[in-house]
Amino acid sequence: MEPKILITSLTSCSGCTASIFSLDIFPQYLERVKIIYFPFISDQAKIEVNDIALIEGCVSNEDQVDILKEIRKQSKKIISLGTCAAFGGILNLSTEKQAESLSKYIEIDGIIPGCPPPLKFLGNCLIRILENKQIILPEKNLCASCELRGEYGNNFGKEINKIIFNSSEFISGIKRPECFLKEGILCLGPITRDGCECKCIKLGLPCEGCVGPISQDFTSNAINFLSTINLSNDLRKYKGIFYRFSKPKLMRSEI
Amino acid sequence: MKKIIDVCTRVEGHGSIKILLQKDEISNVSFEVHAIRGFEKILLNKKLVDVPRIVSRICGLCHASQGITSCKAIESMFEIEPSEQSILLRRLIMIGELIKSHSMHFFFQAFPDLFPILKIQKNPLLLNDLIHFDVQLTSKIYELIKISDDIVGIFGGRSIHTITPIIGGVIYSPSKKDIGLARKYFQKASENIEWIIEKFQELFSHYTPPTKYFLPNSIFMGLHNNENYDHYDGIIRLKLVNAILADFTLDKYSKYFDRVDGLRGIDFFLREETNILVGPIARYKIIEGYGIEKIQSYIEAFNKSWQNNIIFSNFLRLIEILFATNKALSILDDYKLLNRIEITSMGSLKNNEGMGIVEAPRGTLIHHYHVNKKKLINKVKLFIATEINMPIINEILTKESQKLYERTGDLNQIKKQAQMIIRLFDPCISCATH
Repeated sequence: MEPKILITSLTSCSGCTASIFSLDIFPQYLERVKIIYFPFISDQAKIEVNDIALIEGCVSNEDQVDILKEIRKQSKKIISLGTCAAFGGILNLSTEKQAESLSKYIEIDGIIPGCPPPLKFLGNCLIRILENKQIILPEKNLCASCELRGEYGNNFGKEINKIIFNSSEFISGIKRPECFLKEGILCLGPITRDGCECKCIKLGLPCEGCVGPISQDFTSNAINFLSTINLSNDLRKYKGIFYRFSKPKLMRSEI
Repeated sequence: MKKIIDVCTRVEGHGSIKILLQKDEISNVSFEVHAIRGFEKILLNKKLVDVPRIVSRICGLCHASQGITSCKAIESMFEIEPSEQSILLRRLIMIGELIKSHSMHFFFQAFPDLFPILKIQKNPLLLNDLIHFDVQLTSKIYELIKISDDIVGIFGGRSIHTITPIIGGVIYSPSKKDIGLARKYFQKASENIEWIIEKFQELFSHYTPPTKYFLPNSIFMGLHNNENYDHYDGIIRLKLVNAILADFTLDKYSKYFDRVDGLRGIDFFLREETNILVGPIARYKIIEGYGIEKIQSYIEAFNKSWQNNIIFSNFLRLIEILFATNKALSILDDYKLLNRIEITSMGSLKNNEGMGIVEAPRGTLIHHYHVNKKKLINKVKLFIATEINMPIINEILTKESQKLYERTGDLNQIKKQAQMIIRLFDPCISCATH
């Protein structure tokens, strides 16, 4: 019997589910599974018993909590698909809307982080889940595989006062001689999970943290990181970058 | 008053149909979207350099259009122009996005409905039947989706929420190998889409589309570039049947429409009491042609009853894919693509507000930003195609539901019909709930 799959989204941009269509394995995947619920492409409107539920998006209202609980009852495994489902995601930038991870309300069986999840990683995860294996998440931060990483220790030496280079100062990733932090540009690589093949950095942009934190204990990671760098006053006050994809527990409010 | 809600399926995002029944008569049917995310507020107090990356997250299907419109809006504040190479790259990225968006909508959302709409069979194809309906069709669609993702991946850095388009240009210079690969991909896409277009003709052109889906009286809005079909650049045209009501540059938009503070929705200030339509039909109608003979002959294979029917939008999406692949192949021949990366310096801020426009897959998309003295965003207006189409969708939903209910009194049929009407417009609910 082919495994029964449910794919749905909560508050989201549909980018993570749209990523599934981009996978090399997508056609074979569709043949190997039975899609029992996927409102994006299917008319089946009832949540039924299933083997694997892939859920994209964050929880931002009470109705979604009820839906989640219903899916939990009906699903053998639930996977948080993407950074919104895993950590709350981009809506953390909102001062009005809630953006909670699924794990705040239900037990989950794995996460596939990323905004969107890097394709190779996503494909591997989907296959592993089908084969009843655990998802393997990189345990290191992005710096571990970054080519710009130097032996700086904790001293980057310069005040970090930019979130991106000025357009006239653009240096392509291949030619960039050293770490963004060393040049006063904020890169979130040190507190972001590895797994994206450093795509932004290789193209010349600092990491914005879209794969999310390495551990659930985001607060201590962020605080540790902040204590190692000399962040300008302007950036200390700027509410756009540190909590772009997840917020520490203390800053959360209840739905 | 009785209220009936039916959840929309086979659309992007979360929407529903609200039917209002009064004394056994339908008083109104509307397409409702939920979970407004408040991106206009999220952007407040953000640094300009941060904005394009944030707005890309409005939508996983129209991400490149959102990000690039944002770059254009900010570039207008600094009065800068990206290099020619950057514009070519932006166009290629948007073409990739359009191919994915249109092919996914066509196959998974629109195609299954054509069977009941044209009375070929009673119900839409179910997912499993759809995949096995014609294995060649299915594999050609899969290939198109894959190709479009690979294209955006090459030029945009990744296939969704692209990395390379930034304010002042695109931080990528393709290698000869990239260009060669992209050419191979687009040639394949072009073959596939021609096959699909011909398949569409073979399957459906001898049927007569139902009169109930006739295009209602509407004002078409879209970008045109010196009377040419263009997604990236041009001026806005408003056209009613054969009369051009206005041609204007983006900075004049508030004379014709605006977003009312505190209320959702877009107001048009036109004398005619007619709803506005944006998207593939509007783009076709404002210039009446694509300037390519082969495309014209594909269109003419369908008679007027097709050409003036909303279901023709499904065919026009395929035509737009063909047009886009042709355009992409000509872009790839431009030697300027191989230039070294050149990012236009932002310089000093010239205006404290700026606007950007593109034709996103579903229609005209406009961003309008203001900044305060600290150069942080303090006012944002986003004009989203699906929102512009909302009144016309609701007009058709109510009118056709009333007729069908009078004839049958069957609410299930109303729901089914309403679902199909909504899908014909390919709404992007993520964008609409930005």
